[in-house]
Amino acid sequence: MKMTATFAAVSAIALMSAPALAETMTIGITQNNVGVDSYQTTYERAFVEAANADPNIDVVVLDAGGDVARQIGQIQDLIQQKVDAIIIWPTNGQAVVPAVRQADRAGIPVVITNSQIAEAGFDFIKSFSGPNNIIQGEYSAQMMCDALGGEGQIVQISGQPGYTTAIERQKGFEDELAANCPGVEIVETQPGDWNREKSQRVMENFLTKYDKIDGVYSGDDNMGVGALNAAKAAGRADETVFIGATNFAVGYEAMGRGEYWGSVYQSPVEDAKNALETAKAVASGEEVPFLNYFDTPKITQDNMSEFEKPVF
Amino acid sequence: MTTDTGEVGERRLSLPAWRDIGHGAQRQGILLAFIVFLILFSLFSDRFASWDNASTVFRQVSIIGTIALGVTIVVIGGNLDLSVGSMLSFSTVMVVDLHDKIGPAPAMAITLVATLAIGCVNGILVGFLKLNSLIVTLGMLSAIQGLTLIYSGGQNVDITDQEATWFAFFGRDFVLGIAVPTWIFLGLAVVFHIVLTRTAYGRRVFAVGGNKTAAAFSGIRRARVVFSTYVISSFTVFCAALILGSRVMGSQNNVGQGYELLVLAGVILGGTSLLGGSGSVIKTVIGVLILGFIQNGLLLMGYQYYAQWLVTWVVIILAVWLDVASQRGRLFTTTA
Amino acid sequence: MTKTLATLQNLRRFTVIPPIWLFTLACAIFFSLMTDNFAEIGNLKNILQQTSTIGLIALGMTVVMINGNIDLSVGAVVALAASLAVGLQSEIGTLPAVFVGLGAGIGLGFVNGMIVWKTGVDAFIVTLGAMIGVRGLVFLYTQEQSFFAMDFAYSDFGMSQFAGLPTLAWVFLGFTVLMHWLMTSTVHGRNAYAVGGNRDAALNAGIRVGRHMVVNFMIVGFFAALAGITLSTQMGASTPNLGREYELWTITAVVLGGTKLAGGAGSIVGTLGGVLAIGILRNGMNLMQVPAFYVLVILGAILIIVLFIDRQVNRAGVEEVKI
Repeated sequence: MKMTATFAAVSAIALMSAPALAETMTIGITQNNVGVDSYQTTYERAFVEAANADPNIDVVVLDAGGDVARQIGQIQDLIQQKVDAIIIWPTNGQAVVPAVRQADRAGIPVVITNSQIAEAGFDFIKSFSGPNNIIQGEYSAQMMCDALGGEGQIVQISGQPGYTTAIERQKGFEDELAANCPGVEIVETQPGDWNREKSQRVMENFLTKYDKIDGVYSGDDNMGVGALNAAKAAGRADETVFIGATNFAVGYEAMGRGEYWGSVYQSPVEDAKNALETAKAVASGEEVPFLNYFDTPKITQDNMSEFEKPVF
Repeated sequence: MTTDTGEVGERRLSLPAWRDIGHGAQRQGILLAFIVFLILFSLFSDRFASWDNASTVFRQVSIIGTIALGVTIVVIGGNLDLSVGSMLSFSTVMVVDLHDKIGPAPAMAITLVATLAIGCVNGILVGFLKLNSLIVTLGMLSAIQGLTLIYSGGQNVDITDQEATWFAFFGRDFVLGIAVPTWIFLGLAVVFHIVLTRTAYGRRVFAVGGNKTAAAFSGIRRARVVFSTYVISSFTVFCAALILGSRVMGSQNNVGQGYELLVLAGVILGGTSLLGGSGSVIKTVIGVLILGFIQNGLLLMGYQYYAQWLVTWVVIILAVWLDVASQRGRLFTTTA
Repeated sequence: MTKTLATLQNLRRFTVIPPIWLFTLACAIFFSLMTDNFAEIGNLKNILQQTSTIGLIALGMTVVMINGNIDLSVGAVVALAASLAVGLQSEIGTLPAVFVGLGAGIGLGFVNGMIVWKTGVDAFIVTLGAMIGVRGLVFLYTQEQSFFAMDFAYSDFGMSQFAGLPTLAWVFLGFTVLMHWLMTSTVHGRNAYAVGGNRDAALNAGIRVGRHMVVNFMIVGFFAALAGITLSTQMGASTPNLGREYELWTITAVVLGGTKLAGGAGSIVGTLGGVLAIGILRNGMNLMQVPAFYVLVILGAILIIVLFIDRQVNRAGVEEVKI
C-alpha cells in the first residue's frame, strides 16, 4: 500500500501535468429514497455499474430513505470516513445546507445530484449535476399549450407535497402557463404523492366534479397513467390530453397506443453517470462547470421513435 | 412490578378504567355520525349525493376496507396488526410481477401462498410465542418492506397487456352495475359478519379477546385462535392486493405505506375496542365509509389536502367520542 | 440455552441495568470488530448526536407509556415545532421563535391530554387523529415550503461541541438525567407508575389521574417540539415532512428499553439503552455498507428477536422466583 502511494506520488511529480493519479479514490453517495420509484433504483444500479467499471474508484452507497435527518447523519458518517468526494441527492434542498457546509469545512468536495440545493449552500458545493426540474415543468406547459391550442381547462396532479422535485415541477409548469399560455386554466391541483393508485383516486374525484377536463398534467408519468386509467374507466379518456413531467415506461407505452400525449425524457443512467464523472473530476482537483445540467428533451407521440423506452 | 410478559391477554394500550366495556352495549353513535356527515356534505356539494359518486367512493374504499375486515378480527381477538401496509405492497408487487411471467392464475396462487405464509409468521410469533403484537407487527412492517424491495430490486412492476388479461376483472369490472371491488369488500364483510356472530369460531375469537383468564381456554386453544386471526388478516390483504394490482395494472414498492394506520383508523371509528373482545365488521364497514366519504366530500368541495387532514382529525375524535359518550350516558368523564 | 438465559437473568438481578444494555453492548463490540471506523471517537460522537432526536422524544414517550397511554402525534409535532422555530425567526427573532415552537408542542400535548381525560377516548385514537391533523397544521402554516435559517449561528449551534461532546448530545444526556430523577425520586414519578399499574387503585389513593395524564402529555409534547428544534438546528432549516414515522421508531426504542405497552413498568435508563441500540445498529450497518433494503429486514428481525429474548429472560426470572 505504502509502496503504491509512494509510487503514485513520485509519478505525480514526474508527470507534473497529469491530473489523474493512479490511486484509488473513494466516493460516497447518499441518495434520496431508493425503491420509492424505479428512477432512483435504476440510478443506483447505473451508478454502481459505472463505478465498478473504473478500477480506481471505490464507492460507498447510502440511502436516506426520504428522511432528511438520516441523510444528514449519513453525510456526517461520510465525512467521518474521510472519503474523497461526496455526492448528495438532497431529500430537501434547504435542510442539507449545514451538513454540506460541514463537509466543505472538512475539505471534502461535494457534488449535488438530481435536485438542486438552496442558494445559501452554493458556496459549499463544487457542482450541481442533474436535470432542471423547473425547465421540465416549463416544457410540459409548452406541450400542454400546443396540445390544447392555447385554450382549455386542466387539472394538475402534483408529487408528494414538501419535496423539492414536486415543488419545482409544479412551479415551472404554473409559471410558464401563466406567462405564455393564459388561455389554459388550471382549475384544481391535488397531490398524487408519486403514487399511481392515489393519483387514480384523485382523478376519479376530479371526473365526478368537473364535466369538462381538457388536460391533465402530472408530476411524472407514473401518476399520469393512473389518471389515464381513471379517465378510461369513466369513458372520458378521449376528450383529455395527458402530459407528464418525466417519462416512465408505462407512459411511453401509453404514448405508443396514442392515449398519452407527451412527457419529458429523463434518463437515470445519464443522471448517474453525469454525477459520477463530475465527482471524479472534482476529487482529482479538476475545474468543472458549476451547473452541470444534462439534457432532458420533450418526448411526444410524434418523436417518440427517436427515444428508447425508459427502463423504469 | 407486573409480570406482564407480553402475554396476549395482558396487553392494554390505554384503559380508561371508568369506561364500561360491556360487550352487550349497543353503539349506534357511529351510525348517527355517519348520517350527519352525509347530510352535511350533500348540502355543500351538489355532486356529492349522486349514485355515480357513491359508487366511486365504495370502489375507492374497497382496498382499505377489505383489509380493515381482517384487522377487525385480529383486534377483536385482542391484538394489533401493523404489518398489513407493507404486506399489501409485498402481495401487490408479487402478483403483478408474476402475472406476465407465469400467467394470472399461477401468479395468484403463489402470491396467496406467500401472503398467507407471512400471516402464519405473525400468527406464530403472537399466538404461540405470545410476543407483544404491536412490536412484532411493527418489526414485520419493516422486514416485509425490505423483502418487497429485495424481491423487486426496487423496480416498479407493470402488467404489459392491460386490455387482454382477465386479471382486470378484480379491479375494473362491474357485475350487476356494481364494481367488483365493492362486491369483494361487501361480500367478505357479510361472510365475516356471519362467521363472527353465528359460529363457534366467532364466539372463540370474542372470548379470546375479551376474557383472557377464562379457564375454559387452554393456552394451546387460545394460541390457535390468535394464529387464525392473523391468517385471516393476511388473506384479506391478498384480496386487497388483487383489487389494487388489477385496478392499477402495476405496482410500486411502497404502495401500501401508511395503510396500517388508515386501516386502524377505520376499525376504531367503527367502534371496535383496541382492548379486544368487542367489535363488529359491519361497523368497521361504516367506519371505513366515513373516512372515504369525508375525503371524497372535502375534495369535491375543493379543499386543499391539508384541510382534509385537519377535518379528519376532528372527525375521528368526534365520532369515537360520540360513541363512547352514548355508551357512558354522559358527555364527559367524571374522573378526577 | 436455558442455562444461558438463567445466567442472563442472574446478571440482571444483580444489576439494575435493563437487559437491552447487554444487547446494545454486544452490537457495539460487534461493529467495532467488523469495521474500521466504528469505535473512533468521532463516530461515537456522531451516534450520540444522531440519536438525540429520537432520544429526546423517547424520554417523553416513556412517561406517557408508563401511564398506559401512547402518543402517535410526536412526528407531526416535530415538524410543526421546527417549522415555527425556523419560519418565525425573521419576524420575531431566533429565541422567541424557538419558544413559540416549544409552546406549540406543549399546547398540543395539553390538547391531546385534555381530550383523553375529558372524553374518555383512547389515547391511541386521540393521538392517531392528531398525527394526521397536526401534519395538516404544518402544511397550513408552511404552505408546503421549507424554511431556511438565514442566520448560520442557528445551524452552528446544532453542529457545535461543548467539552468534547456535541452540544445536542449534552442536551439529550442532560434531559435524560433530569427525567431519570423525575421518574425515580419524585411524587410525580411514583404516581406515573401507580396510574399505569392500576388506574382504579390510583384514583382511590387520591391521585388526580386526569390532571396527571395531561401533564405527561404536555411533557411528551415539549420533548417532541424540542427534538424538532434541535433537529432544525442541525439542518439550519425545517421541512414540512420532517418527523414522518418517528412515532414508530420512538415507540420501538421505548419498548426495546423495557417499558410495557400496558403501562406501569419501564425506566428512562432502559429507554436510553433502546435508543442507543437502534442508533448503533443503523450507524454500524451504514459503515458496513449493508444495502438499504437489507437494513429494513435486519432491523425488523432484530426487533422481534430482542422481544423474544427479553421475554425468555423475564420468564426465567418469574420461574426462579416461584422456586
